[in-house]
Amino acid sequence: MNAHDEDRMKQLLRQALPPVETDAEPARDLWPAVLRRLDAEPARAAGSLRQNWFDWALLTGLIVFAAAFPATIPVFLYYL
Amino acid sequence: MSTHPYLRAYLAGIFVTTLILPLILTAFIIVRLVLQLPVPIERGLIFPMALVPAAWGLWNMIWLASHSRTHLAIGLHGAIFPFLLLPIGATVAHCFGILSFGSSSATWFQAIDVPYALIVPAFCCGVAAYYLVWKYIVGGLNRVLGIAV
Repeated sequence: MNAHDEDRMKQLLRQALPPVETDAEPARDLWPAVLRRLDAEPARAAGSLRQNWFDWALLTGLIVFAAAFPATIPVFLYYL
Repeated sequence: MSTHPYLRAYLAGIFVTTLILPLILTAFIIVRLVLQLPVPIERGLIFPMALVPAAWGLWNMIWLASHSRTHLAIGLHGAIFPFLLLPIGATVAHCFGILSFGSSSATWFQAIDVPYALIVPAFCCGVAAYYLVWKYIVGGLNRVLGIAV
């Protein structure tokens, strides 16, 4: 590869790869989106806890039933 | 963790019942051998010890196979299971003479009388228990084993 070829190669590479700007920034500010994402996570977790009231009610009902009718516990175990 | 998903589903399914089996065996030894109560409990062990664990594993495999089509939550899938288990268990128990039907109550193990009026709420409690166990324990195991969708 002679000097002419090297120059030609450099020219082709410059055409193919646009120059990287030293102060390149995204088109929009991404930080508000990060903050929104961080805020959404605890809200979603709290929502799932609120939805679990039904499961807690079921568990409470089971415990109350087993305490009221302990004779049914062996039958439960038999079918488990 | 993409290999043998049905094997992992089966293992996750039998986990709970496998943990409870030693408790049932312990209760059997205490009732039958230590206290020497005349309760024919050994005849009733076939269903909980031989059939139920395999059935739980197969039920979890069915959930894995059908979830892509049904999108049914695993808790609801588990809550359907007692509707299948109760008639099978009652049939097995009746055949082995540990469940008899009286005029006002059903008798398990020739010792435990459950009035018919109590069977429906007891069954509802069983459905609720299955819902919770499948949602939190079997579903959690499915996530741990990488087969939860």
